[in-house]
Amino acid sequence: MSSVAISASLQISCSSQHVTRKVQPQASVARPSRYVGSKQVTHVATVNIEAPKGLSVAEQQERSGLPVDGPNNTHDKSEHSLETEPSAPRFADERWKKGTWDLNMFVKDGKMDWDCLIEAEARRRKFLEVYPEASTNEEPVLFQSSIIPWWAWLKRSYLPEAELLNGRAAMVGFFTAYVVDGLTGLDMVGQTGNFVCKAALFVTIISIILFRKTGDLENLGKLVDEATFYDKQWQASWKDQNTASPADKSGKNV
Amino acid sequence: MSSSVVFKSFTGLLHSSSAQDHHLKPPRRRTTFRVSASKTSPRLQNRNLRVAVIGGGPAGGCAAETLAKGGIETYLIERKLDNCKPCGGAIPLCMVGEFDLPLDIIDRKVTKMKMISPSNIAVDIGQTLKPHEYIGMVRREVLDAYLRERAAKNGAQVINGLFMKMDIPKEGGVKGGAPYVLHYTEYDGKAGGTGVKKTLEVDAVIGADGANSRVAKAIGAGDYEYAIAFQERVKIPDDKMVYYENLAEMYVGDDVSPDFYGWVFPKCDHVAVGTGTVTHKGDIKKFQLATRNRARDKILGGKIIRVEAHPIPEHPRPRRLSGRVALVGDAAGYVTKCSGEGIYFAAKSGRMCAEAIVEGSVNGQRMVEESDLRNYLEKWDKTYWPTYKVLDILQKVFYRSNPAREAFVEMCADEYVQKMTFDSYLYKKVAPGNPLEDLKLAVNTIGSLVRANALRKEMEKLTV
Repeated sequence: MSSVAISASLQISCSSQHVTRKVQPQASVARPSRYVGSKQVTHVATVNIEAPKGLSVAEQQERSGLPVDGPNNTHDKSEHSLETEPSAPRFADERWKKGTWDLNMFVKDGKMDWDCLIEAEARRRKFLEVYPEASTNEEPVLFQSSIIPWWAWLKRSYLPEAELLNGRAAMVGFFTAYVVDGLTGLDMVGQTGNFVCKAALFVTIISIILFRKTGDLENLGKLVDEATFYDKQWQASWKDQNTASPADKSGKNV
Repeated sequence: MSSSVVFKSFTGLLHSSSAQDHHLKPPRRRTTFRVSASKTSPRLQNRNLRVAVIGGGPAGGCAAETLAKGGIETYLIERKLDNCKPCGGAIPLCMVGEFDLPLDIIDRKVTKMKMISPSNIAVDIGQTLKPHEYIGMVRREVLDAYLRERAAKNGAQVINGLFMKMDIPKEGGVKGGAPYVLHYTEYDGKAGGTGVKKTLEVDAVIGADGANSRVAKAIGAGDYEYAIAFQERVKIPDDKMVYYENLAEMYVGDDVSPDFYGWVFPKCDHVAVGTGTVTHKGDIKKFQLATRNRARDKILGGKIIRVEAHPIPEHPRPRRLSGRVALVGDAAGYVTKCSGEGIYFAAKSGRMCAEAIVEGSVNGQRMVEESDLRNYLEKWDKTYWPTYKVLDILQKVFYRSNPAREAFVEMCADEYVQKMTFDSYLYKKVAPGNPLEDLKLAVNTIGSLVRANALRKEMEKLTV
């Protein structure tokens, strides 16, 4: 194995980690197994959503099987090397071919099923976050999310959001109408003709759009802080200059 | 250059006409030219201005050279004359011209960059480069030694010594021209020598002694946030090295670094594999492992020949100057966000500071004042503040999370972006863009960000 050379020296550079691995084999086993758990959940989702499409059974077994056996292997090898990640599971899906999704396999009833593609790509990225893969020149990743048309994204992410906002606006509106009615005796129909009520409605809608979540206000404040933080750090060296004599200012070169 | 010549003849004139009273009362500002306050400072008797440069890196070397050329008695104090500082070692094209560097100190000319996103989408950057354009990769031991030697040739006295501390004159003394007394241990080059304690009196000090600057401590410059950079020099087999002939790789992703990037840079006969972080310094080994893992196939069979780690300043120190002491380079904190570039800025700040001293002292004939050094700060901030700010924004927007990084890599695939990035990197000038292209870029980038974030939401759904 050609990686022995690099791994042997890796051992030196990362000896502290290595030692912990040696001393506590359980720890090193435990970590991957945690991933197994989360991945199996993912896996269940896979089956639920696109069981008809089907990952091949062999592949499924391979995917769920590897991590379980994996730690033992890795542990043995880690005696010599830390770079035995090759035994880490690689992403595999029958629709993922040569670094891109085979779009032909996403055609459902003669139509492109973009939703399915988005899901598949999301799953791939999720997988890669848990098991980062080496980037190779032999099989570059060619898939670009920009090939998915904008309306597919809109349909997936915007509509649920819109529903949420509409629902919220309706609830607020209804409750307000109720309160106003109770306080002033002005009924629903009367309220719609009233200028003040119309203005209030307008303000409500705007504020619901702006502050969808309770955290939004706070986030906005944080964003401003963050944006000006670097400026403050730079300006710090000019703070004490304010007290300096005006002669300093005149010392500026042209 | 021409302006300093004009100043020279002018101050000579001023000196002969009103030598007595100018010290008491600063000359009135005139509309034709402004007179620096120090031109009124006393002429030095029987000697030239003495300036010590602490630290012999690019900042120190360039500062010492400029000072020596400007007729100032220059001392350069550096402990390790063969120090190879852990450093990416990339210099922009304009540095070669501006600092007159010989081409043989450039080990490699990088003409291709590869950005690799968390989902392993690789984007080639550099197709827009013209044939003569490249990013130079240097070894710091070579560059530093060259700059120091050049300073020595110009008359700077290079002292192999360890700077210990410095006695700052009392409040009145700083204004009155009392000397700073430096304490250092001189080594005569013999191995195992304990060194001799010595002192040196100077009129001004340039602190170019890096992130753990003792000069900064001495003047109470305050601290800065720093990132830790970890790098391994890996000797890889020749057939793998062919790939890295003129190519550098940048890996982004949460696995590699939560707030920076991982890199594989080609060096003279090996590659440097490394990563950096501000927020999770304790996990740096983990990130290094991840970087190595991402580049696994390309560095397979490599041997690690050196492991290095060093701090990278995130922002300037609260005080970069006090009395007649100024900080330059890493000591001041001049490293850009996003790219983490510091060599050029160090060299440039060293030179700029030295120029301010030369000009303020009228080629070493007069005492300098704080206001002269302030000129350097003012000029520096005016020239480079936009560059630093832009890179800070880029880092904040695009190194924030994996979706943002995906969008960043997608954005970098755009030719217009590449052209703009390289132009501003290689020539250190923020080039004015084409408004239409800018708009297109903005729309595309927002599109990329929205897509990547939509995918992120999908990913979150999957875990539940």
